[in-house]
Amino acid sequence: MSMERMDLAASAVDEALGGGAQQADVRVNHLRMEDLVLKNGALAGAETPEEYGMGVRVRLNGCFGFAAAPLEAGQEQRVARELVERALESARKLSAAVTRTTELAPLEGECAEWKTECRIDPFEVSLSEKLGFLKEAEASMAGSESTVVRLATCGIRREEQWQATSEGARLHQVLVRSGGGISTTAARNGQVQRRSYPSSFEGNFKSGGWEHLVEMDLPSQGARLRDESLALCDAPPCPGGSRTLVLGGSQLMLQIHESVGHPNELDRVFGHEVDLAGSSFANPEMIGGFRYGSPEVNLIADSTIPGGLDTRGFDDEGVPSGRFPVVEKGIFQGFHTSREWAGRLGETSSRSTSRAEGWFNPPIIRITNLSLMPGTWAFEDLIADCEDGAIFADTVKMWSIDQRRLNFQFTCEIAWEIRDGKLDRILRNPTYQGRTPEFWGSCDAVCNQDHWELWGVTNCGKGNPMQVAEMSHGAAPARFRKVNFVEAT
Amino acid sequence: MGFLRKDEALQVARRLLESSTADETEIVIGSTAERFVRFADTGPTQSADRERHIVAVRARVRSQDGWQEARATCDGLGDEQTTGALSRAVALARVAPPNPDLAELEGSAEVDASSGLVDEQTVEHGFEAKAAWIKQALAACATADLSPAGLAATSCTSNTCVNSAGRSVHDARTRAAFSLTASAPGLAGGAGFGDAVARRVSELGVSAAIDRAVGKAIANRSPVAVPADEYTVLLEPNAVSSILLFAAYQGFGAQDVHEESSFLCGRIGERCFPELLCVDDDAGNDVYPGTPFDGEGAPKQRVELIRRGVLTGPVTDADWARKLGTTNTGHALCKPNTTGPKPTNLVVHPGDSSQAEMIAAIQRGLLITQFHYTNLIDPKDLTLTGMTRNGTFLIENGEIVGAVKNLRFTESLMNAFGRVGAIGKQREIAGALFDGEVVAPAMRIDGFRFTSTTDF
Repeated sequence: MSMERMDLAASAVDEALGGGAQQADVRVNHLRMEDLVLKNGALAGAETPEEYGMGVRVRLNGCFGFAAAPLEAGQEQRVARELVERALESARKLSAAVTRTTELAPLEGECAEWKTECRIDPFEVSLSEKLGFLKEAEASMAGSESTVVRLATCGIRREEQWQATSEGARLHQVLVRSGGGISTTAARNGQVQRRSYPSSFEGNFKSGGWEHLVEMDLPSQGARLRDESLALCDAPPCPGGSRTLVLGGSQLMLQIHESVGHPNELDRVFGHEVDLAGSSFANPEMIGGFRYGSPEVNLIADSTIPGGLDTRGFDDEGVPSGRFPVVEKGIFQGFHTSREWAGRLGETSSRSTSRAEGWFNPPIIRITNLSLMPGTWAFEDLIADCEDGAIFADTVKMWSIDQRRLNFQFTCEIAWEIRDGKLDRILRNPTYQGRTPEFWGSCDAVCNQDHWELWGVTNCGKGNPMQVAEMSHGAAPARFRKVNFVEAT
Repeated sequence: MGFLRKDEALQVARRLLESSTADETEIVIGSTAERFVRFADTGPTQSADRERHIVAVRARVRSQDGWQEARATCDGLGDEQTTGALSRAVALARVAPPNPDLAELEGSAEVDASSGLVDEQTVEHGFEAKAAWIKQALAACATADLSPAGLAATSCTSNTCVNSAGRSVHDARTRAAFSLTASAPGLAGGAGFGDAVARRVSELGVSAAIDRAVGKAIANRSPVAVPADEYTVLLEPNAVSSILLFAAYQGFGAQDVHEESSFLCGRIGERCFPELLCVDDDAGNDVYPGTPFDGEGAPKQRVELIRRGVLTGPVTDADWARKLGTTNTGHALCKPNTTGPKPTNLVVHPGDSSQAEMIAAIQRGLLITQFHYTNLIDPKDLTLTGMTRNGTFLIENGEIVGAVKNLRFTESLMNAFGRVGAIGKQREIAGALFDGEVVAPAMRIDGFRFTSTTDF
């Protein structure tokens, strides 16, 4: 642990308390990233950002204040003092408009270190090796004049945080994540269609090292993706109407994210995010009794699961990571909370889901790793069990959901019509629409652990101004009955 | 320390440029100082007094087969950080594959510095004044038994671009914004939205935004369900903005056209829409002027994107202008990037109709305040979906007769814009759920397709 940076954070907490703060937490962050994108043979994206900054949050007169700035070597103490003053000043001025003071759930401040396990440190892999990796992956999709875009991406990130709170927490964490993927776009017959692997949004990401990219074996999938993107240009549109839908994991993960994760954030429930991101149909009276889904549906939030993008030792309020049920055998069990919000449920501790994007933002409630637990079916058996005309669809293409997270509409990259218990013809733009509790209530089968995968989301937006957070969702393919398809194009 | 002023920014950029060992180097600095407060029924809920200075270095190495280039950024102005970014960019450029499509960096450029606006009152605007806005919003909501949630923000942003070919441009401008969503208590009924955006805090219409949000929420207390169907719609400016921004993201750039993923493909020069529809990208517009240069410091040209209903050419940047043999319209995002040039200052020409006149002309239709979570299904015909939000009202026989529950649209903009029947004469600076703002009037469109409904 760099004692200098921890001491910097701790002394800022002391200064805030000395200045009248009821509570303070300070985070010093050092962030390194490397994002490479090879597109049609050229390095179209090549970024290696680095950030080093400090965010100071204080609570004064029951009101939060926050200030943040980048840090420069030799200037840290001066910047820290200024930030403390600015955070106190903002809380002092804003407290004039407070109508209900903010109280925080108790915290036993721990002194701890936590590091992501990496078998291969991604920052030790040379740039030449990474470019070679991308070239091979991109080349695997070549071979058709109708292919207009071939993309191979990799991205790595290392965030080191020194965190001190007025409850005595002294936490040093090093979080590393790695990932990437390939995608190809074909254009012909007036259509333009994309296929991606392992998922859209530039691939799949996990906490851990370069080993994740090696394990994905991207070149092995290039020819398949190319051929599927071409086939989609020639395929008929997925017809509208009510049909059985089997969703693949790389689509189901976003279904979990949008229709379970976001409505489960307690600040939304009380209307504090309604100005931009929206609110929630869920409310505290539903806990323990509301049927969110069928008995097949079990959803667990877990910020300790290996490989999760929100797997860490502590959240950004210093609360230890943990695991809690959100839906158990279809019944709603509880919300994501923070220290600020736990008391609204009569709970005495936060569920450790308060996070900030870097040093630049104050923490807010964020979805943690949230997974649909595996069922019992083998995928082949599930498809064989479907009637003719059922649809298997996978990989996110488009998503939209109302501000209370009820009416959703998603389009997948690809669908296959099921005939005689097997995947048959390809259909383009499969677009399904539903209402959250009915949709999860129609789930009658979930595939088993062999088909279960952890999928990373790297672009979750919330807050105003918007902050981006990362988390993972585990899923195996699952079946839903009487789903409404929309013929979108 | 606040945002970087011109002399400071140019000094940082030039010092870094001088130490580069690359064949070509570009330094872009984006510096922002911001104070914002979020508020809700409990008063202020989150705030920030913050600044950041993102220094981006683009390094290029010449090879026989084209330029090898890469970018590195740092957030901070210390020598250790900025020279570290330069070293990373150069190292990555040296191993990058050469790209024969890249143009040489362009040199000296004249940009319109007169549009820059740093309003010191906005720079100094503090939390005490923002607390006063919040109290005003909370009081208005309390009087009407409504729950508030919103944002009060002021910021100043400077952008600087210096390159080894002799380019040196700088711009700075302030921004003030206020928004309020007023909702029925316990989210039991409808909601209303109002916002205001201005370059000067003294011109920010906070009271008008509060009145609009509260007025809409009162009118939207007890929405009733209407079936999903085709309706004539009167889209208010925020609704126009959220669908038009997708055209900007997904089709008005030269790369989109080249990759056959644009609605412009095969339609350039074709009259697709009524003559009253005119859309420009114009950073120099007088309603909400934007930064006068693009991500590589080239002057932004005014580009007619839809001229009297005719789709015209896409926007370009230096590389795409060279590749296509056309002029550089100055629409690069920071390079290198995967997206190509994009319009970032959309302006819809005003029509000649008042809102009252447009409502009066609708036999049966819907007034839409905002769309929520709009997203793209198909880029070739701009098929989008999204939900209505914060005030959807039924119009019958030329009058608003009541509030309705929200609906989901699934519609091709290529078809919908072909049915524009009237455009408002008043324009607003209108945003959307995701990033971006459009200078937009209200718009009447016939036969707009709604495909499902929701509970509220």
